[in-house]
Amino acid sequence: MPQGKFNLLFLKKQTAFCCGRYVQSVYCLLCATAILFILLVLATTNVSAQQNVIKGRVSSHHGHPLSGVVVSLAGYGTQAMTDSTGSFKLPVSQQVNYTVTASHVGYKTQSKTVSYTGGSKSVTFILHPLNHELEEVHIQDNRALNRKQSESMNVEVVGKDFIQRNLGGSLMTTLSRLPGVKTIGIGSGQSKPLIRGLGFNRVVVTDKGIKHEGQQWGADHGLELDQFAASEVEILKGAASFIYGSDAIAGVIDVKPSLPPMPGTFGGSVDLIGKTNNSLYGTSVNVYGRKKNWFFDSRLTYQNYGDYKVPTDTVYVYDFKARLPNRYLRNTAGRESGLHFNTGYIGEHFRSTIYLSNVYSRSGFFANAHGLEPRQVDTLLHDQSRRDIQMPYQEVNHFKLINRSQYHTGKHLLQADIGYQRNFRQEFSIYVNHGFMPPIYPTTLNIPQNLEREFDKQVYSINARDVLQLNRHQLTFGFNAEHQDNQINGWSFLVPAFKQTTSGIFIYDKFALSETVLLHGALRYDYGRLQTFHYSDWFPSEGEFVTRANAFTRSFNSIVWSAGINYTPEGNFSLKANLGKSFRMPIAKELAANGVNYHYFSYEQGNQGLNAEQSYQADVTLGWNTNKWQIQLSPFYNYFPNYIYLNPTGRHDILYGAGNQVFNYSQSRVMRYGGELQVKYRVNNWLSAEALGEYLYAEQLSGEKKGFTLPFSPPPSLLLNVTYQPVQIKALKDAYLSVDYRLTAAQNNTVPPERETQGYRVMNIQAGTKVNFYNRPLMLSLQVQNVFDTRYLNHTSFYRLIQLPEAGRNIILSAKIPFGR
Amino acid sequence: MCLLAIIILAGGCSKNNEETKDTEYPVIDLSVADAFPQQCGTVKRGQTFTFRARVTDNAELGSVSVDIHHNFDHHSHSTEVQTCQMGAVKTPVNPLLLIKSISIPTGLKTYNVVQSIDVPANADAGDYHFLIRLVDKAGWQTIKGISIKVE
Repeated sequence: MPQGKFNLLFLKKQTAFCCGRYVQSVYCLLCATAILFILLVLATTNVSAQQNVIKGRVSSHHGHPLSGVVVSLAGYGTQAMTDSTGSFKLPVSQQVNYTVTASHVGYKTQSKTVSYTGGSKSVTFILHPLNHELEEVHIQDNRALNRKQSESMNVEVVGKDFIQRNLGGSLMTTLSRLPGVKTIGIGSGQSKPLIRGLGFNRVVVTDKGIKHEGQQWGADHGLELDQFAASEVEILKGAASFIYGSDAIAGVIDVKPSLPPMPGTFGGSVDLIGKTNNSLYGTSVNVYGRKKNWFFDSRLTYQNYGDYKVPTDTVYVYDFKARLPNRYLRNTAGRESGLHFNTGYIGEHFRSTIYLSNVYSRSGFFANAHGLEPRQVDTLLHDQSRRDIQMPYQEVNHFKLINRSQYHTGKHLLQADIGYQRNFRQEFSIYVNHGFMPPIYPTTLNIPQNLEREFDKQVYSINARDVLQLNRHQLTFGFNAEHQDNQINGWSFLVPAFKQTTSGIFIYDKFALSETVLLHGALRYDYGRLQTFHYSDWFPSEGEFVTRANAFTRSFNSIVWSAGINYTPEGNFSLKANLGKSFRMPIAKELAANGVNYHYFSYEQGNQGLNAEQSYQADVTLGWNTNKWQIQLSPFYNYFPNYIYLNPTGRHDILYGAGNQVFNYSQSRVMRYGGELQVKYRVNNWLSAEALGEYLYAEQLSGEKKGFTLPFSPPPSLLLNVTYQPVQIKALKDAYLSVDYRLTAAQNNTVPPERETQGYRVMNIQAGTKVNFYNRPLMLSLQVQNVFDTRYLNHTSFYRLIQLPEAGRNIILSAKIPFGR
Repeated sequence: MCLLAIIILAGGCSKNNEETKDTEYPVIDLSVADAFPQQCGTVKRGQTFTFRARVTDNAELGSVSVDIHHNFDHHSHSTEVQTCQMGAVKTPVNPLLLIKSISIPTGLKTYNVVQSIDVPANADAGDYHFLIRLVDKAGWQTIKGISIKVE
């Protein structure tokens, strides 16, 4: 019997190994091709004969090249159109003053006088949107395309339509349809992004230009973002520290607010949403208006949901059997609200917007799994209603005040973002005497008896930059600074209070080497300081009030860089390559954790001696676009000389860890590689098919877990889609019927304390249309998630550890009803 | 720069030799002769009992820890199939609390745990949990929770 098991194991390893080698060789091949292309490009660009031309580049006010812009010479009838890098060339014959005009759909036409004195003369245009309301989908698509073509890293841009079609329990779940993006989730409303298997503090989420700071480190914490308020989300996969500083190791998720309304408008919309699985109902009401220069935009969102349903009636929480009456996960109901108010001024050269928002949520934790010791599960109380929220539960409030301003003069575009945010999070549960805690809660203690944890974070941020257009160069330089003040409360302890200040300066040059080649180079310096505060237990352990945290200060500095190329020749092929170094300052938890995490029966031990984590990443994106085919292959390779890892050891600790297993933070060499493949085929104008695949391999090359992978490594998966768009039915505008079939492989490559996860297949259906409603387009969307009520475990789910399957079938109906002028 | 990537990659390739990594959980065996306590077992106040169990691992054992805490609130986290007859829910006064780590000599795959434990005469009688946690050197942990009575 053990013999057979071993053989099987060996076989599995063999396949994993071969598969890994196969991907590596494909990757090597790609790299070789890339080098060939770069050499080719360098060879061809030197031959550029002196011509009598006026040439130049056209970019948007965001600094993105604009393609398809018509540039003309007034009075001569000469015209040219810009290419994908925004470049144009106009042949001239006389040495006179020419008026050069650049015009583009949706942008203000701009004219410049050029005194031509022979040879080649350069001129640069920065176009501003006609009105800043880019609601029209095709313009957004263009912008997304421009963004992809002018960035050497892997960028995905999704708009409101994508969010509406794939609406999940949270913004991050919605985004997880994209290849390379997964989430670490808990329950039906909380989740955090994973980009290519890295998450927590290795992904930066920015909201309205300011880095969103909550409690990103906690697997059971979500992100405090209102997905109705997001108009566009940009996902940057790769080494992005050079712009975003510490943490942007795996990438960035940039959530953008809605654009200011058009002049002379007043209107809004009402969103209505309902979900069957957790009986969610919700609404989001938007009202906006603008005279000429002044505008306002406001939104109110409310969602209320009950316990969610899973396709099982029994779960085993660390071998303990828990029954789920009617398959509902007891105490996972929640409420969410979002309040947003934006107002600002838009002038010819200057614009400034103030964003005010407050996102609040209160949600229950699955009662049988909180603290793993399933104490205090009162089935009578917990099962009396599906909608009530009993203990244990969490309550989070995130307040933001942000100002974004920009001033455009000559070749300069000056931008500044200033922000204040406060993340206030509380976790309530009935007092349980873990470890050496007294059996009865002392009445003399000034911590509320049900307050298990509290984190109060206040963050002040400032970003400033200047975007300078110098002939073929677009130079961006600037600085970011952030100060955090973190307080804690509650009867349990994990991380001490701390203060943290980080700052960085950077310079980034985008250089149009030729009409088809764009080069990128960036350099950044960061400095950060973290100061923790003292903490002692309020109860004695074996007669001693142990000190869990000493006050100490650490400082870190780092130089990061990035280099990249975009090669977009005429025709169907395009190539992007990027190589960059990123870094991450250790967080307070990694440096100073010293307590028991009863979610995992683990005693987490911080390490004051940790170094700033460094990461080197190479990215290649190959594209092939024709009318019928859209193919994109994006492999990457990533190496960490000192990845910070929470290592489960073979020891127990009595005094500090109350007999639990010691998990200590250590650093090891790690390599990761993988990639995504996206293939889209348009059969005709009403039918298209799509395949989105992803693969990831991670391995620790040193340390105690040498040979093991990293935790939360998503297994390979493939999403197959067929979309039908009945263009011939005139009454239905933008109608679609789309089927997603996701095949996920088993994840047998795990590291303690993870268990292996079996493969699964899940089907989702999306359908929707716009119908005429008082001459305005009313948008209807329907989604069926997990059509066959498949029982499966998601390797990156927080509840995976307790074998809890994902949510069962869920039908989501939503409507957007616009009003106003 | 891609050249660099290939060099790093080659470095990664050659390292990929899949050393024998431990992927198995350690085992707590209470079925061996004279293993004590057993599910629904009883220990006496004012006396000393001996905790006996056999622990095994495919590669190398790490350490064992024992946690005895009251279950007067009936927070069952027993991992055993058999349920025990429990007393009424009550408020603890002076419950027995014991957290003890038992070190295992390095390099062993099998170890017989023998640990004497005192039960104070003034401890509250009633239902208790006897939680055994075993880790192997690789960091895999197995937990066994059994219900016992203190009389």
